[in-house]
Amino acid sequence: MKKRTTYLAFSAAIFSGLLVAAWVTHGTGIVRDDPERNIVIPDDLTSTLQVKAAYDGETIWFRYRWAAEEPNLVNDVLVYENGAWALREGSEVGPDPDRLVEDRVAMMVDDGSVPLFSRYGGYITIGDGLTSFSGVPETEEERSKYLPETRTDPDDIDTVRPENELRRLREAGYFLDLWDWRSARTNPLAQAEDTSVGAAREPDAGAAPFISNFDENTGLPRFMFDPALDTGNPLSIDIVTAGEAGFDNAYFLAESAAVPFDPATDWQEGDTLPARVLRESAGSRGDISMPAAARWRNGFWDVTLQRAMDTGDPLEDKIFRDGGSYDLAFAVFRDSATMRWHYVSLPVSFGLDQPAQFVARESEPGQPDWTGPWTEVPVFYPGQVTWDRLTDPRRHPGADRIAARVPAAYQHNERQLALYGIEMEFAEEIRRQWLWTLGMSLLLIVALGTGMVLLFRRTEETT
Amino acid sequence: MTVAFLDRYETSKVKDQKMERASSLLPAARTGLAAVALLAFGTGAAFAHGTDGGGVEVALEGAPSFSISPVYHVLVVHFPVALWMTAALLIFFRVFSDSQLAVRLQKSVWPLILLGSLAGFVAYGLGLFIYPWSAITQSPLGRNHIMLATWTLSYWTVMGVLGYRYRRFLFEGAQRWVTFVLTLIGTAVVTITGTLGGSLNGTPSLVTRSLGTLGWEVYMTFYLPTWMLVAFGLGAVAIVALGVMGSRTRA
Repeated sequence: MKKRTTYLAFSAAIFSGLLVAAWVTHGTGIVRDDPERNIVIPDDLTSTLQVKAAYDGETIWFRYRWAAEEPNLVNDVLVYENGAWALREGSEVGPDPDRLVEDRVAMMVDDGSVPLFSRYGGYITIGDGLTSFSGVPETEEERSKYLPETRTDPDDIDTVRPENELRRLREAGYFLDLWDWRSARTNPLAQAEDTSVGAAREPDAGAAPFISNFDENTGLPRFMFDPALDTGNPLSIDIVTAGEAGFDNAYFLAESAAVPFDPATDWQEGDTLPARVLRESAGSRGDISMPAAARWRNGFWDVTLQRAMDTGDPLEDKIFRDGGSYDLAFAVFRDSATMRWHYVSLPVSFGLDQPAQFVARESEPGQPDWTGPWTEVPVFYPGQVTWDRLTDPRRHPGADRIAARVPAAYQHNERQLALYGIEMEFAEEIRRQWLWTLGMSLLLIVALGTGMVLLFRRTEETT
Repeated sequence: MTVAFLDRYETSKVKDQKMERASSLLPAARTGLAAVALLAFGTGAAFAHGTDGGGVEVALEGAPSFSISPVYHVLVVHFPVALWMTAALLIFFRVFSDSQLAVRLQKSVWPLILLGSLAGFVAYGLGLFIYPWSAITQSPLGRNHIMLATWTLSYWTVMGVLGYRYRRFLFEGAQRWVTFVLTLIGTAVVTITGTLGGSLNGTPSLVTRSLGTLGWEVYMTFYLPTWMLVAFGLGAVAIVALGVMGSRTRA
């Protein structure tokens, strides 16, 4: 009797011990950084972007504020090392330890012409086979986001519709306006890049706000700082990689401060020049400007962009009208990361004197009214989730909800989406391990039942 | 003569006992039949409902597959939950009370549990046909719900077998406290399974958030590292071995 009780106690202890151990160790062993597969998981999965907007009938202003531990003011550099100049580019996979990738904020705008954008935001632009996704072979040209209807097969990036059909779609407003502010390549000259997403991510027509400063033929920089001007403390690669490049450094090379590169200058080991020369962008590409260059202060970027409400170019820009309703989706790049290592938002409704999640304040001409409160927009790391997967009933239980146009925010919150995004990066490994866990835990329960049936006693059996 | 009389007496006593047992099983059998009929009706309705009007539309080319509206899983799943939870309540009452009422109520524990398991199998089956297997097993929340539902169903079935085999002896001596702990675990897995189902349907409860606080982020798949799977296997072998050794001490 005593022995039986001891066995019973042992069995219960083994079962309970395994349950506790399972609780403590679950979810370990699979999810980890794997740079070879382009998998790097950020420490923070979610964050918050604060936004405000104002308009005066002619101009619309957007103000963005987000937390960033440190500013990243440099994006690719030319370094003098061992008697030669070399182009050093930032990492395209995860945060760059050498801090060679700039900070950014981007905003996609739609006026209701792109079906499903108001419900799923940027997810609809993530087709299969985009650059930096696991298993996608490297291509010379970046395979960027695109809208599904620009393909005859929306899930195949290579099935682009003929030019005349693409033109028809664009004339119908089937594109997203994409504003892109960059701390190194546009901010110093108080501008942002005006681009759009249709058949691909494309810049608007006009001159780019930057050109390359590296001459691949000669292997030398094209321009250097005008020694006659005070452009700030010179950069060295050590300063950049230590994350010490600040606003008082010569972190950008403006066309107006540049002179042709002189190899005869007494260059020192580690001397560093920006990899691009900044200039005033022109044409539709230069529609977005800033009242003044933004500054990072006390752990936050505070960026204000402005644009004519009607740029006169409805094929490249979404036109804002008083009383109009729009949908926006935001992306924040920080921690010296680029490509898909950003924080994105779900779509946010935006109104000009219309009820919406985010409402612009009507202002006096030329005087944006910032007196209202910030609108807090949760942003999250999206992982690797493609539109193809989301709309496939074999791979996403919610595919039918998408077919029924149920908004993503109805079913998921941002943290949940971030966690799902990470799980998708290890989808098959986790599924396999889960099946094993299911089988082994079932075995344990059956074993417990068997053990209990064998060890329990009827009183008369024991007397 | 006396021996013959005693033989007849014993025979008639055994017959009486058998009749008594049979009559005591009758209500349970009737309840079981009624439950089966109800569940068959529910399942039939689910199939008849098809995918129209709120069901999950799944059209997979080249993949023989069908789906059942989730409303029937949601409807049927309340049967096992109610039956198991009632059984748990009666067990807790009996563990802490030797009153006549507690002892009488204890008799309905195993029928309640096994009826719950029967309903549980139907609910489990209906749940598996809401989404294609390939899809639901890609969803972390879906995987977790399946995992917990499997645990719940198998665990309570084990409890039902134990209850059927040992009846009132479940509450004798040390077995009373083992029964208590096993039932506590049973109520926990039912609760978690239910809350995950709610979360899967887009209505997470405070329980979902509490699990996060306790160390399980339910929006990530519950899986064990390989070494823990090995430990589970060894643990299973050890528990059965202890059972076999214990059963030999009786003989």
